[in-house]
Amino acid sequence: MARIRRDLAEIDMTPMIDVVFQLIIFFIVTIQMEKEYNPDIELERSPHGPPIEGKQNVLTMEVEINRFGWISIHGAQLTHKMFRDIMRNRYNRYGQFPVLIRADKKTKHKDVKAVMDICTSVGIWRINFAAVKEERS
Amino acid sequence: MKLRSTNKRPVENPKLEMTPMIDVVFQLLIFFVVTLKQEDILAHLDVSRPAPVPKARQEEQVQDLLQITVYNERALGGQGVSVQGRQVSFRTLESHLSRLASYSRNLSIIIKCTGDSYHANLVKVLDLCAKVKLKNISVFSM
Repeated sequence: MARIRRDLAEIDMTPMIDVVFQLIIFFIVTIQMEKEYNPDIELERSPHGPPIEGKQNVLTMEVEINRFGWISIHGAQLTHKMFRDIMRNRYNRYGQFPVLIRADKKTKHKDVKAVMDICTSVGIWRINFAAVKEERS
Repeated sequence: MKLRSTNKRPVENPKLEMTPMIDVVFQLLIFFVVTLKQEDILAHLDVSRPAPVPKARQEEQVQDLLQITVYNERALGGQGVSVQGRQVSFRTLESHLSRLASYSRNLSIIIKCTGDSYHANLVKVLDLCAKVKLKNISVFSM
């Protein structure tokens, strides 16, 4: 006699699934699985330096020096000779380009000097050092 | 007759089973939320690297500029910086630089680094220069 209307008791899932899919798509699009930089390098803080905003010059060469003085570009470790060859080829192709050095705070200056000397020997006089302006994590 | 009656049983209306899909979707969502990491904002500190000139010329060239030496504080004590040969703290250096910057922003600053000094000290000095907006900075190596 008492007819229970079952569909009244059910929750409508559709909006929730919509929202969840939106979130997932957002995260899939924004996530960067491969780190472009070496996570072992700890940069010194520089709260007053001018920030690196958005996409910088596409020609910028980011060189990483870890605290043992090893040079790497985009995670690939290089010898000094390989680095010099890369810089020279790049200079011959593009002319002046910005160089950004990401050196660990415990790197000795002589290792940074080696990189800077290679830059100057190729013909690049302006050098940028990266530092952390604001920590987000 | 019998067959027809069995066929007449009401067919359950086909409904999509949502539960497993929602489970999977939530798993994905949690994964992405957990792996997402905000990146630090970086700063760039510009310096120029002087051309290798003979030592004698270097000395005369740098006569009336401010010379900051960055050394290894573990070897020599102090905080790792000295101005015109005198060990100073970073705070003293900052007041020194801001006084100089009030005269002229285009003043040349020369930072000399010893080979065994830490990069952190150089960055700290460059940060102070950026704070008082001095632009003409050269880094020498010793």
